[in-house]
Amino acid sequence: MNATTFPGHAEATDGGYLVEGGRTLWSWLTTHDHKRIAVLYTIAITLFFFLGGAAATLMRLTLVHPDGRLMSAENYNKTFTFHGVVMVWFFLIPSIPSTMGNFLVPLMIGARDVAFPRLNLFSWYLYMIGGLFTVAALLLGGVDTGWTFYTPFSTMFSNSNVILVVVGVFVTGFSTILTGMNLIVTTHMMRAPGMYWYRLPLFVWAMYATSVVMMLATPVLAMTLSLIGLERLAGVGIFDPALGGDPILFQHFFWFYSHPAVYIMILPAMGVVSELICNGVRGKIFGYKFMAWSLFAIAFIGFLVWGHHMFVAGQSMYASIVFSILSFAVAVPSAIKVFNWLATLHKGSIVFHAPMIYTLGFIGLFTLGGMTGLFLAAVALDVNLTDTYFVVAHFHYIMVGGSVMAYLGGIHYWWPKATGRLYSEGVAKIAAWMMFVGFNLTFFPQYVLGYEGMPRRYHQYLPRYQDLNILSSLGAAILAVSYLMPLFYLGYSLFRGKPAHANPWRATGLEWTTSSPPPEHNFHETPVVTTGPYEYRD
Amino acid sequence: MNATLPEAAVQQQFDDASQQKEAAMLGMWAFIATEVLFFGVLFAAYVVCRWRFPLAFVEGSAHTDFAMGTAETAILLTSGCLAAIALRQIQLDCARQSAILLMITSALGVAFLVLHGMEYHDEFEEGLIPGIRYTQTGPDARGVELFFSLYYVITGFHSLHVLIGVVLLLVMAIRTWRGTFSSAYYTPIEITGLYWSLVDIVWIFVYPAIYLVGSAG
Amino acid sequence: MTGQPIPSLRSQLAVLAALLILLAASASLSRLPLGWWGLVIGTVIAIGQALLVLVIFMRLRHSHPVMRMIAVLSFAWPLLLVALTLGDYLTRYLLHAPW
Repeated sequence: MNATTFPGHAEATDGGYLVEGGRTLWSWLTTHDHKRIAVLYTIAITLFFFLGGAAATLMRLTLVHPDGRLMSAENYNKTFTFHGVVMVWFFLIPSIPSTMGNFLVPLMIGARDVAFPRLNLFSWYLYMIGGLFTVAALLLGGVDTGWTFYTPFSTMFSNSNVILVVVGVFVTGFSTILTGMNLIVTTHMMRAPGMYWYRLPLFVWAMYATSVVMMLATPVLAMTLSLIGLERLAGVGIFDPALGGDPILFQHFFWFYSHPAVYIMILPAMGVVSELICNGVRGKIFGYKFMAWSLFAIAFIGFLVWGHHMFVAGQSMYASIVFSILSFAVAVPSAIKVFNWLATLHKGSIVFHAPMIYTLGFIGLFTLGGMTGLFLAAVALDVNLTDTYFVVAHFHYIMVGGSVMAYLGGIHYWWPKATGRLYSEGVAKIAAWMMFVGFNLTFFPQYVLGYEGMPRRYHQYLPRYQDLNILSSLGAAILAVSYLMPLFYLGYSLFRGKPAHANPWRATGLEWTTSSPPPEHNFHETPVVTTGPYEYRD
Repeated sequence: MNATLPEAAVQQQFDDASQQKEAAMLGMWAFIATEVLFFGVLFAAYVVCRWRFPLAFVEGSAHTDFAMGTAETAILLTSGCLAAIALRQIQLDCARQSAILLMITSALGVAFLVLHGMEYHDEFEEGLIPGIRYTQTGPDARGVELFFSLYYVITGFHSLHVLIGVVLLLVMAIRTWRGTFSSAYYTPIEITGLYWSLVDIVWIFVYPAIYLVGSAG
Repeated sequence: MTGQPIPSLRSQLAVLAALLILLAASASLSRLPLGWWGLVIGTVIAIGQALLVLVIFMRLRHSHPVMRMIAVLSFAWPLLLVALTLGDYLTRYLLHAPW
């Protein structure tokens, strides 16, 4: 180790990284510290989450009544597009990788920072610039294409601000790529002595698999969106039927990115849950190597299933069959993970702290979302269910029930580490339970609605669907409260919370061996690793 | 060779120069992977469109300048070799030679851009640019327009990459001339070389896809 | 990279010569009326040239295995995209061109 560049002072100042790099706003905006960048990301992502949530609130309010008088069809289209674009690209995709991934991967592997700190900061600025474009598009009248930008509507017919949003998503895509690149190189090159691959916490494995997907999928989106922009601006006609181009080709390209993007959202959540569950049962994960490699199996097979979004789009029947079979195949590694989590719970002395409640919620909701995914992978059934609320419920179970639950679980679990403060566990448990109840109340009725044939993306519906829609909107209200609660009690803990010592959860893992909050360069001396993860001894 | 690097040049997050260099190389390869996929989408579109309209693609390719395309390919291949030799020379501590080679590489990049600009100009005269000036008629005119759509997107993005490469090479040449690099530290030159080779590889596939369709008919 | 041999000038120039010969072959063969074989030959030669650049100029031959893995992945993935997309087009009834 290099003594001149790494000051090995004996004890951290109280504020750790929060004050060591300077206290001014400028010192935060120009920081190269991965932990500070993670905090910047967390603040920005929370902002976008509530923006997207506001759009969802408007939609649920409109859908209380079947005639949809609260919003015109046009405004409704713009609202769900905004909700989709913001939630997918500005919340879900960067959610865990850019916040916890950024914060924890160097800590977990015993490194002083990520490999490319300047690129890391740059990626945050790209994210913010992309976000600005998207919000600007909203202020200038919105976009009505849906988050999928399907051609030829997006290229030939839509009169809304498609270009602005496409540029926004394009720029944000590069922030994703930079984050992925950073995490891959960091994991490869910066591990502490003794930190062999099979000693890595599963969260690091998950982040690595996610980063690979980010790198191999995101450029495809970037180019596809460029082609939309070029078609609108310059008349390049690759998706234009009048020139012999093919709109379905757009769907192929789009879903080649966007299906793996679902795994960008869920793989990190699986990593978080693997950490939390071991702490909750105070034991080892069941089947560590299976857990690690199933992440890669999911990441790989996830690239081969995109055609299941196109069963009714005009894709060939034979291609549909192949994509259908491959989609069933991706359930195998996913099921391995669920079974292994259950086996980890088996005979454990489970502690029901708030992160654990989120974790158990994740497992249940992810399983339900995954199982209904099998319905949708079956060609014959999917023809019926395409573009109904069944699909909406399915992917919200994965993305909200799965990713958001894990995200919040992780935020609670690592909160003392990041801030040096303990939050109030009682309120947190209430919020976690409310989220589980509110979530199911919101989205389970949508399965039924979809199965009964209610189509998605309309502001009006037949009166016979009203009861379940009211139920869903009620659930959304509970869900909204449970999302707002952490803002208050976590915010309160920042100022009044009890100071946390280094390891309040009595957890294993290198991040708990350094002080809370960690010093600027993470460790006072480079740790040497002698055991695998999850060596709980009580 | 790592021990000779002054400690100040190692950023704080790395243990030593060797780790820093390997991290930079791996990062660059990861970046190259994203670039390959970026162009990969366009090649996928090309394959589908060509499979659907083989005759239009033959006709479109016949409108491109075969001799010019071949010359451009030769220029890029040569420049790629010079960049590789420049890296070798700096490893042997011949900084002046390395700087000159980088300069020539950059100049070849400029030559490529000039030739390509001349091609674009001729195509404008002929009315072959979709969306700007397209005057073709005949049974396959729409399909040829599709060919030229792909042609402009692919070569346009590629030329943008060449331009970035030219600037990078120029910066590297100046820094090398000033003695920034030596056999102890030359990672930026190596990374720039990797980038330039990527630009090369993309063009290696563009060449038969664009210029050699027509003549095979 | 530590322990990576410095290539000889002669090897680099030999590769350049090979690349230019392949270019000449590709260009001249394309002038012959070979039909679809022209496509095959052009593609094979391009792959050969790309491999030369990757292995020699980009020094994959002596690189860390991870970098070789990334190089393979980066070319395998677009192939995956092409293969499965083309699989759809080859097995579906296509509408006639609109002109």
